Amino acid sequence: MSDHRPDIKLKNKGMYKDTINIALAGNPNVGKSVIFNQLTGLSQTIGNWPGKTVERMEGYLNFLGYRFNIVDLPGIYSLSTYSLEEIVSREYIVSDEVDVIINVVDATNLERNLFFTFQLLELEVPLIIAINQMDILRSRNIEIDFKALENIFKLPVLPVVAVHGIGVHQLLEEAIEMVVFQHPHTHFNEKTRDEYDHHSHNYYRTEHIHDKVKVNSKGKNNFKFPDLSKVLTFGKEVESCIGKLIMEINNNQLSSALIKYPPRFLAIKLLENDEEIKSSITNKEIIKIADEFRNQLEVIHGEDVHTIMSSEIYNKIHDISDKVLIIKPHKGKKKVSLADVIDHLTTHSILGYFILVAVLFGIYIFTFSFGNFFSGLIDELYTLWSEFIYNSFGEENLIVKIFWDGGLGGFLGGIGGVLVYVIPFFFVIEILQDSGYLPRAAFLMDKIMHSLGVHGKTIIPMILGFGCNVPACAGCRIMETEREKKISVALTSLVPCAAVMTVVLGLVGRYLGFFWVMILFLINFGVIFLIGRILNKVMPGECTELIMEMHEYRMPNSKVILKQTWLRTKEFIYKALPIIIVFGILLEILLIFNALEPINVVLSPVTVLWLGLPAITGVFLIYGILRKELTLVLLSILANSLNVTLLELLTPIQMIVFCLVSMLYIPCFATIIIIAKQTNWKYAAQISFLEIGLALFIGGIINLGFLILTSF
Amino acid sequence: MPFQPRHHRPPIHRIASQKIGTRLTKCLTECESGEEVIVLRVNAGYGAKTRLANLGIVPGVKVKKTKNAPFRGPIEIKVKGSSLVLGRGLASKILVSCNNSYT
Repeated sequence: MSDHRPDIKLKNKGMYKDTINIALAGNPNVGKSVIFNQLTGLSQTIGNWPGKTVERMEGYLNFLGYRFNIVDLPGIYSLSTYSLEEIVSREYIVSDEVDVIINVVDATNLERNLFFTFQLLELEVPLIIAINQMDILRSRNIEIDFKALENIFKLPVLPVVAVHGIGVHQLLEEAIEMVVFQHPHTHFNEKTRDEYDHHSHNYYRTEHIHDKVKVNSKGKNNFKFPDLSKVLTFGKEVESCIGKLIMEINNNQLSSALIKYPPRFLAIKLLENDEEIKSSITNKEIIKIADEFRNQLEVIHGEDVHTIMSSEIYNKIHDISDKVLIIKPHKGKKKVSLADVIDHLTTHSILGYFILVAVLFGIYIFTFSFGNFFSGLIDELYTLWSEFIYNSFGEENLIVKIFWDGGLGGFLGGIGGVLVYVIPFFFVIEILQDSGYLPRAAFLMDKIMHSLGVHGKTIIPMILGFGCNVPACAGCRIMETEREKKISVALTSLVPCAAVMTVVLGLVGRYLGFFWVMILFLINFGVIFLIGRILNKVMPGECTELIMEMHEYRMPNSKVILKQTWLRTKEFIYKALPIIIVFGILLEILLIFNALEPINVVLSPVTVLWLGLPAITGVFLIYGILRKELTLVLLSILANSLNVTLLELLTPIQMIVFCLVSMLYIPCFATIIIIAKQTNWKYAAQISFLEIGLALFIGGIINLGFLILTSF
Repeated sequence: MPFQPRHHRPPIHRIASQKIGTRLTKCLTECESGEEVIVLRVNAGYGAKTRLANLGIVPGVKVKKTKNAPFRGPIEIKVKGSSLVLGRGLASKILVSCNNSYT
């Protein structure tokens, strides 16, 4: 295959292949991202709920002298064309961009996971099977006979404990073996491995090896897939149909999109009525034949072809797992595990809801008390230092005003007003994600969410939205239909995120008390409910049913949680703090030259007349579109430079209205972009305008209400 | 087109049970929690059927119903060692037999 490659390229690349492209594929929530993080040291989000990896993530590492490009694919259950992820993953797996696929399999759920492995086998790509979470399986006194598994699949099958990084690098060694040495090395072939000495680190680079190594650029083209016909054959009727279809396919010229798929796979998919493949086949004759076969089979079996084939595969897998799983006798009585107890409590029909509410409250109370304490400390420090600076440089010094009041004021406002709330918040959210509570919330809320036109899964991005709307809206990918995606994106963008929360807690919570914070949140949730109802009515189509896998609880890994919290915080510091400081300085300069007047005048009919706020807040609300916490930070900078406290700047009613408007008036800039990405720009604009309208409406109503109340 | 009265259709599991010829079938929602049953048929549309098949719910498979969500919410079942949550509407389209000898 490599004969026609130009020599120059060979020279540049050396006589052997030194870049290996690996894709991690498998069911959702089996630990692909954990393996990815272990290998590349990157920070792919991980947690205990299906659908975290929304887009494929790429990273690389150097190992044993080779460069590995690793791609983390989103988790899928099959290679049919049920969802976009499946189509994209399928095309990616057969493309030339990948040399080896690592199929990550959850050991605790072997049968279901092997179903996907069977689909990968049909693609006849170089495959390594990594069986993850072996520690959990072993703790249940079950062992897997790897030798037997390799005997069946004739491909390397390796045990992995991804969270502890055990066995992860062996996967790469196998990949080298597969791509460079061109033979799927299995332990069942143990003799051949002995010939190659041991896996020493220098071994792969020694000169005499290179002579043996074939020159190859595309490992896949040369890869000889083992003959698995014994494992993969279906029943007689199905197999004869497949055989005839393969003949037809072989007799025809295939388009470039299909040439990469093995004919057998195409035949199976044609029988299953796969729209994607049907549409790319040019010869309509084949489709006709396939349709005929499908009808025949369906008449014989009384089921549709996909069900027939799936049940045959599942039967075979059942036999395999019978052979492979070694269940050791239990010593002593079986204990009721803590995970089961927690699972029972959190999905209990009454207690479950109490726990859900308690969890959400707990998040706020924890963040609030943690944040308040440190924000007070930082404020004290700032005033202390301010006096010192003013005394030594003079209070009216222009430079002091710009850099101290604006720059450092903004910086400390960012840390004291925002960061101290954000860190504990991320921490709690990470624990929730990692423990596996989120699917339980979806289970409980399914019925209620149905009245908003979506099923229970929406609650997962919504809870994540309490942290930050941007990844949460991206997480709305897990919704199956366009309609549900649209509704859940809209609902998620309205969830008060950490930034909004800091504004509310830092302003209303700090000066007016917790009661008013609760009122504000209740209004916010009311709005979410209202918008859901409206969208449900307005959008055509119906709500689909929930199908979701519920994974067992697991003890959150402290290392993972701390690392993820730190990474998110770091991201926040890098992205948000510079903006805050720059805007702080900018605001000071604008204030000194009185340049804000025109904008405020333009906005004053809305801000002053309708909402009853000071004119200056108009600009803050515009800045707030960039990042919501800016509204509070800028407000406190203004108060600082005027030497008044916030309580003197705003009346309590103004505070409440200001907070409420900041909460609802528009998703922040990044969220709008994500909404547009998930749906389209038109929808993002519609949502934004709808929210602006609602926020102004409610804010105005409250203002008027208070005015009327106080006038009596 | 002349006005046609709406047909009163018998419940879906009744139709299917007549086809199969037994009266030992019911839909998944009617099962008690903790009951172990065998899936006979999935009466859903193509999309839902494919998804369920991918998750291991195919005719002949043993499933165990573990939980009912409150307020007629979704149900939780165990299939091949993994827990699945299914919406109630979908679960009512899955026909099962409580007679374990039926295979």
